[in-house]
Amino acid sequence: MSGNRHLLALAALATVLAAAPARAQLTEEQVKAAFLPRFARYVGWPAASQPTPGSAFQLCVIGRDPFGRMIEQAAASESIDGRGVQVRRLPSAAGAAACHLAFVQGTAPADTGRLLLALRRFPVLTVTDGRAGPQRGMIHFTIVSGRVRFFIDEAEASERGLSISSRLLALAAGVRQRR
Amino acid sequence: MRLLSRLPERWGNAPFAIVATVALMLLAGIGIILQNEAAYRELQEQQTRVQAEILSAGVAAALDFGDAEAARQSVQAVQVNPQVRSVGVYGRDGKLVAGYGRGGVDPPPRYTDPLPDARGPITQAVPVLIGGERIGTVVLAADPEPLSRRLSRYLVIGLLTLMAVLVVAVLGLAQAVLRRANRQLEERAEALVRANAELKVQVGERNKAEDQLRQAHKMQALGQLTGGIAHDFNNLLTVIQGSADMLRRSGLEEAKRIRFAEAVVQASSKAAALTGQLLAFARRQPLQPEVIDVNALIEGMTDLLDRTLGERIAISTDLTEGACMVEADRAQLESALLNIAVNARDAMPDGGTLAIVTAAHDDQERGPMIALAVSDSGSGMDEDTLNRAFEPFFTTKMTGKGTGLGLSQVYGFASQSGGDVRIASVVGMGTTVTVLLPCSGATYEADAGEEVGRPMPGRPGCILLVEDNDEVGEFAEHLLVELGHRVRRVRSGEQALRLAETEPFDAVFTDVVMPGMSGLELASRLAALKPDLPIILTTGYSDEIAKSGAGGRPVLLKPYRPETLAAAIDQVLRPGSGAAK
Repeated sequence: MSGNRHLLALAALATVLAAAPARAQLTEEQVKAAFLPRFARYVGWPAASQPTPGSAFQLCVIGRDPFGRMIEQAAASESIDGRGVQVRRLPSAAGAAACHLAFVQGTAPADTGRLLLALRRFPVLTVTDGRAGPQRGMIHFTIVSGRVRFFIDEAEASERGLSISSRLLALAAGVRQRR
Repeated sequence: MRLLSRLPERWGNAPFAIVATVALMLLAGIGIILQNEAAYRELQEQQTRVQAEILSAGVAAALDFGDAEAARQSVQAVQVNPQVRSVGVYGRDGKLVAGYGRGGVDPPPRYTDPLPDARGPITQAVPVLIGGERIGTVVLAADPEPLSRRLSRYLVIGLLTLMAVLVVAVLGLAQAVLRRANRQLEERAEALVRANAELKVQVGERNKAEDQLRQAHKMQALGQLTGGIAHDFNNLLTVIQGSADMLRRSGLEEAKRIRFAEAVVQASSKAAALTGQLLAFARRQPLQPEVIDVNALIEGMTDLLDRTLGERIAISTDLTEGACMVEADRAQLESALLNIAVNARDAMPDGGTLAIVTAAHDDQERGPMIALAVSDSGSGMDEDTLNRAFEPFFTTKMTGKGTGLGLSQVYGFASQSGGDVRIASVVGMGTTVTVLLPCSGATYEADAGEEVGRPMPGRPGCILLVEDNDEVGEFAEHLLVELGHRVRRVRSGEQALRLAETEPFDAVFTDVVMPGMSGLELASRLAALKPDLPIILTTGYSDEIAKSGAGGRPVLLKPYRPETLAAAIDQVLRPGSGAAK
């Protein structure tokens, strides 16, 4: 019973958080932070890389972290097939093998490119921000008409063994389709 | 044929079958419509729900990422359906993210549970779920198909049913009408057959009755005829027999003998005239037609008529100039005229006028004719007398005054000559008898070569006499011998033919009516054998001659007098005369 009440409280909090962007003008970072854990819902990983039952998806923030606590708040409300989303911060690509999603941002655009290159060894959905530089991960945030949108590099994701839901692809500002 | 005849039986229950079929079809049509209508709304709800679910799945990601633009695009895809009245996509907080409304019905800005409304649009609310979590709601309101369109769809079904019903009804009606017509036709045909049979029976009965009536008339006429003949002949025979008996007495004074002989001759000639008139009435008279100018004939007869009619009767004639010629027997025509005149005289015992008029008459059937009308100013005839005027032996005169054969002769002569007789009479005013005779195309030749004076006595010759009647034969033989001729008498044509082959004769005098070879046949055989041998025919009456004539040979009618026989023989024996002309 007490567990249930706890869950209810969590759900209420999540509702408040999710409604937040619609109620007040959110900052760009807040929107991006809210988006990040949600991508997990629309991505399929190779069976070997799936989180074991009961364990959470690993959302890694590699390099610079522009979100801070915002991302923890967003991840807390996310529940995908009963799994939560856990946020980890990594200074480099080392230790990124366990990550499912990775927001990648180096100190400089070239640094971002290097990080992305290092992550290519793992089935990790890489996310980059257009404000940080032209280097693109599988999902690349951009701003269209003052709204946060993203490009999707389906070809790259496919090469890493990831599948991206068509529903997400439908929301993309642009898609580099797999061949 | 068998199939056709069985058809009506099969369709015997047609009216019931038709009504049943029509009722079934109508029920089926109504059933289909009702079921359709009941299932329709349910179907529509399902369709709307499915559409809402599709939209819900489509906008899930958009809602998840708060992408109102993407949600609007999904809504736009739905609004293509014209039946969708309004669409609302609501976020987690119940606020409208994307919406669309048609016809002034916009989706409410905040999500509310749709109220079930059986009449209004069909509204379906479907939650938008992401991983089992509700992140929003899609509300889709669709207009049910307009009633008019549904009705028009049902109308098609109704029309089809109606048409089928009509076809069945028309077929049934046609069948019924046909059957009735057939039945009426059969009835009429039967009635017709019955009527026909009845008519046949009636006609048969009538024919029988007519035959009986005709037979009765015939017997009556025959009785009258034979009675009349017997009466007249008995009178004449009384005179002849009595006179002959007296002649047989010996020691009779010369003067008495001559008087009795004269009586015999006169009675005989009266009897001959009687038979002549009988034959004329029966139209069996051997006619010797010649071309006659009727006007000239009448003029030639005025003296005779004057004498016959007496002084108290005046005769007036009005003869049409240029009246046509007729072809008739002169003696018969004269006789007819005389008979009419005598009747007129008897009708005017106190004197009067006899008018003889000729006029051209154009008959529609028989062509141009001449009308010879004889009118008197006498007592006239009543209708009954008029109707019987032409009957033989019918007379209004005192017994012994008339034979009753006068007008009969006129009638017989006119008919036989291709003409007609008409009689008109008014009691107290007089009578008009009109004889119509057909005009002849032949031209009249005046008797220029009429012989003057007595004919030359002929030379004696050898005569072959053929006569099957012994009395007549003996009499003729005596007569010919008395006239100075040599005579060979035979009793048949065959004998005559054989004799003529072996012996030479100057002339043949033959009877016409004989058993075996007839006189006419003998004449033609002899003509083939000896073309130059003259032949004279004689007969009291011959059917053959009356019908087809004597072939141009001279015919001596019985009873003949010695002078006529002598003249006929002299004629053919006279040198230079044509043999058988």
